[in-house]
Amino acid sequence: MAFVAEQLLNALALAALLFLVSAGLSLVFGILRVVNFAHGVFYMLGAYFAFTAVTVSGQFWLSLLLVPPVVGIVGALLEASTLRFIYRRPPIYQLLLTFGLALILEESVHVLYGPTAKGVDPPALLQGSVQVLGAAYPRYRLFLVVLGVAVGVAVWLFLTRTRAGLVVRAVAQNSEMADCLGADVPRVRTLVFGAACALAGLGGAAAAPMTTAYLGMGVGVIVDAFVVVVIGGLGSFGGSMAGSLIVGAAQTWGAFYLPETAMVIMYAVMGGILIFRPWGLFGQEE
Amino acid sequence: MRRREFLKVAATGGLGASLGVPVYLRQAWAQNPIKIGMPAALSGGNAQYGIQAKRAAELFAKDIKAKGILGRPVEFIYEDTAGDPATAVRKAQKLVEKDGVKFLTGVVLSSEALAVSAKCPEWKVIFMSTINGAGALTAKSFNRYFFRVNTSGPMGARAISLYLAEAPLKRFFALGSDYAWGRDSVMSFESQITAAKKEVVGKDFPPVGTKDFASYIAKVRQSRAQGCYLALPGQDATIFLKQAHQFGITREVKPIMEIVELENMKTVGEAMVGTIGSSRYPFTVDTPKNRDFVKRFHDMHGTYPDMFDGETYEGLEWLAQVIQKADTAEDVDKVIEAWEGSSYEGLEGPFLMRKCDHQAVQLGFVVEVVKDPKYPHPVPKILATYPGDKVTPKCRTEEFA
Amino acid sequence: MTLARTRALALAALAALALLPWVLARHQLSILVDLLIFGLFAMSLDLIMGYTGMVSFGHAAYFGLGAYGSALVLIHFEPPIPVALLAGALLAGVVAAPVGWFSTRATGIYFAMLTLAFAQLLYTVAYKWRDLTGGSDGIAGVPKTTLFWGGPSLAERRTFYYLVAVIVVLSLLACHALVRSPFGRALQAIRENEHRFVSLGRDSRPFKLVVFVIAAAFAGLAGALFAPFRGFASPEVMFWVLSGQGLMMVITGGIGTLVGPLIGAMVFLLVQEILSSYTEHWMIFTGAVFVLIVIFLPGGVVGAARRWFEARA
Repeated sequence: MAFVAEQLLNALALAALLFLVSAGLSLVFGILRVVNFAHGVFYMLGAYFAFTAVTVSGQFWLSLLLVPPVVGIVGALLEASTLRFIYRRPPIYQLLLTFGLALILEESVHVLYGPTAKGVDPPALLQGSVQVLGAAYPRYRLFLVVLGVAVGVAVWLFLTRTRAGLVVRAVAQNSEMADCLGADVPRVRTLVFGAACALAGLGGAAAAPMTTAYLGMGVGVIVDAFVVVVIGGLGSFGGSMAGSLIVGAAQTWGAFYLPETAMVIMYAVMGGILIFRPWGLFGQEE
Repeated sequence: MRRREFLKVAATGGLGASLGVPVYLRQAWAQNPIKIGMPAALSGGNAQYGIQAKRAAELFAKDIKAKGILGRPVEFIYEDTAGDPATAVRKAQKLVEKDGVKFLTGVVLSSEALAVSAKCPEWKVIFMSTINGAGALTAKSFNRYFFRVNTSGPMGARAISLYLAEAPLKRFFALGSDYAWGRDSVMSFESQITAAKKEVVGKDFPPVGTKDFASYIAKVRQSRAQGCYLALPGQDATIFLKQAHQFGITREVKPIMEIVELENMKTVGEAMVGTIGSSRYPFTVDTPKNRDFVKRFHDMHGTYPDMFDGETYEGLEWLAQVIQKADTAEDVDKVIEAWEGSSYEGLEGPFLMRKCDHQAVQLGFVVEVVKDPKYPHPVPKILATYPGDKVTPKCRTEEFA
Repeated sequence: MTLARTRALALAALAALALLPWVLARHQLSILVDLLIFGLFAMSLDLIMGYTGMVSFGHAAYFGLGAYGSALVLIHFEPPIPVALLAGALLAGVVAAPVGWFSTRATGIYFAMLTLAFAQLLYTVAYKWRDLTGGSDGIAGVPKTTLFWGGPSLAERRTFYYLVAVIVVLSLLACHALVRSPFGRALQAIRENEHRFVSLGRDSRPFKLVVFVIAAAFAGLAGALFAPFRGFASPEVMFWVLSGQGLMMVITGGIGTLVGPLIGAMVFLLVQEILSSYTEHWMIFTGAVFVLIVIFLPGGVVGAARRWFEARA
């Protein structure tokens, strides 16, 4: 019984992390119609900035609060100075631009921080473990679950209950119409891109105590994010929640029972969805 | 021209020539350096290893500057392979053909090493491995231009297995990353541990790049193993150790690693204390030569030498000796002959280059990660030292006697 | 640009290709062979990307299949090189058929994602099937054999170069003929507006499938040349990073021009080769240059060259 509870929590913690990364990716696709290959690198930026912030200030909570907006600003600046100029072009250009940005950012981190991994210690409150049904479970993972739920609820409320969220959704549905109706479409795009990067940065900052900050963590996470987003539905926020849960559970149980084939099964599921139901579980049929 | 002028010119020429000759010779000496090519992974996910090779070379270059090799200066040429075998071959070829190097070293990945080493007979250059552990390099894929100075993967697994055969631990779980080294290492460990009448109660092969080991940790716990053998590459090992500590499992199950890297210790920190494993070069080896090396290294680079730092330095020092012995840096065959069967007193102990497969027979170390107030991070403490002939496999194989 | 001018440029290029091996240093010639091989790879990608409008994230898988096919045949049987080339191209084409059949059921970004999923699957197979592919270590020691049974050896670098150059030029001509044919024009119609194509009563899927397989076969041919040239095949040549680089090569050269991606691959690799000798942080510069090209030179090198020629006309 303890084992089942532990695995469940493992799946939820992993799902929370995946959700933080993929929600932004899904949003950017839904609203900007861009597949952001650099998304994983913003996740990595969040982890490294968290390392710097915690090392400099010794304050974990403060860092967790400040790092995402900083990453978001970096993202917004990049969008406004590069992507903004090529929205009218065929999608391949935007996609490849993000690819180029990913190269630049990844190597910049190498220049700034060097090639070795950086550890981040969680705050004292989140260290150690609690007893869950007789087994010791890391407190930090429980925190991740809580964080994932909190962020999910917050963003969902923003999109559905606020006026700004309404504008964002309008631009997603029909940007020209939204433009006619007075929405500042380029600004919405920049803000959404920045927000998505901030979410990814939050994911990285939250992941750092669990995985350390290391070069290549962006590349590693982007494929997972793609799987989640495809299953959930490109452009659907609810889809990224559902997709994260599915992939988190599949990877957790897959790692236990079929570690060597778990990835293959994931790709097969991804392929299956793309063939038979490309808009995923919750996406919009086009 | 007339005779008088001719004599004048000849005299001036003769005088000038006799004055100029030493200058000419000096210039020729300076223009004839011994070049060593290092196609290392200096960018990408494996950059932390390439940089070790480079650091060692930089220290060696400084140490040898005064007298050179055979009276000639030594020049290192670095190229970045980004950890990609195709690029590694391309860069190695450039080093050989454009820069004219006769010695290649500093290659990081075993896949890169296999690809480059296969070309060395064609290029007629010596490939000196100071990092690559793949058993096949001195077995199935051996060629006479390849020399391995470092402890190989099988040798590391052997050392730790010898230690565990005597240790009280009886039940082991084996976790190897799902690629060549991980699988070979677990296989080697398993056969040796069962030969020592102990039990491997479970094994798993997580994909390379796994960032969440929770399920594997759960499995290890369920198996009730007393020790967990890990053959995970640097970053994966770091993540595993961190998470294992967070789950509290390191109190019940002893982590045992085929290579214990200083990089892991620096990043994981105290959470790793108590881990045991094989170390190819523990910088805490207490010989005067090594203490001096560590001090020089720390003065130059501001950090303590990791395994590949030490082994690359040893390789370079040995190569220099061998070139000196062969009295040539151009005739590669002579250098090969000089190297085969030669001995070398390294930082960690004595080395002997086996003629049959060019594997350097050397001491095997089993270390434990301990906290030491002298250092800013945990360090390897040597638990056991095994003589070279006990840890080196039979010629051209990956098996032990 | 006038036909005469195009012809003149083409002849000049051919002459250069023929004469360069006598002018270049040995290792420079090696780099040129590399450039040609990856140029062929990029050109094959342009068939589906530039002419049919299908973006593939998984094209490297076919390069890799070609490399492995050729490597395995050469290691086990040591036939003349053309046999290995055929083996590689066939393997790539044969695998591409079912992949293409499934993938072309989707369009746009979904198609792209599918190609990525399949490519990752193939990569995982190559990585794990150690007995056949050597796993993560790959297959080393692939020999260069002969041109035909009892024929001249291809071990000499210049000879191998000519083989590669001839194959690349012939491939370029073949692809050129293909895109000018009615089949090719149908592809371009699909790229322009697939809905209209379908509404005119034609089924686009068979076209897309066929061009996908043809492109895969050419990519496989490039891979099949790579294996004996560099002497090995490893999973890295199937990884999606190479696919991404392929896309970058196409854009750098000029999408939809065939010769553009060939040039683009050469430019891309040369820049990388030169920069990486100066700094290990060359990726920043490559990325920056590429971003600039995407924003300011959407037509790539060829597009810019064309505009320059037209301005002078």
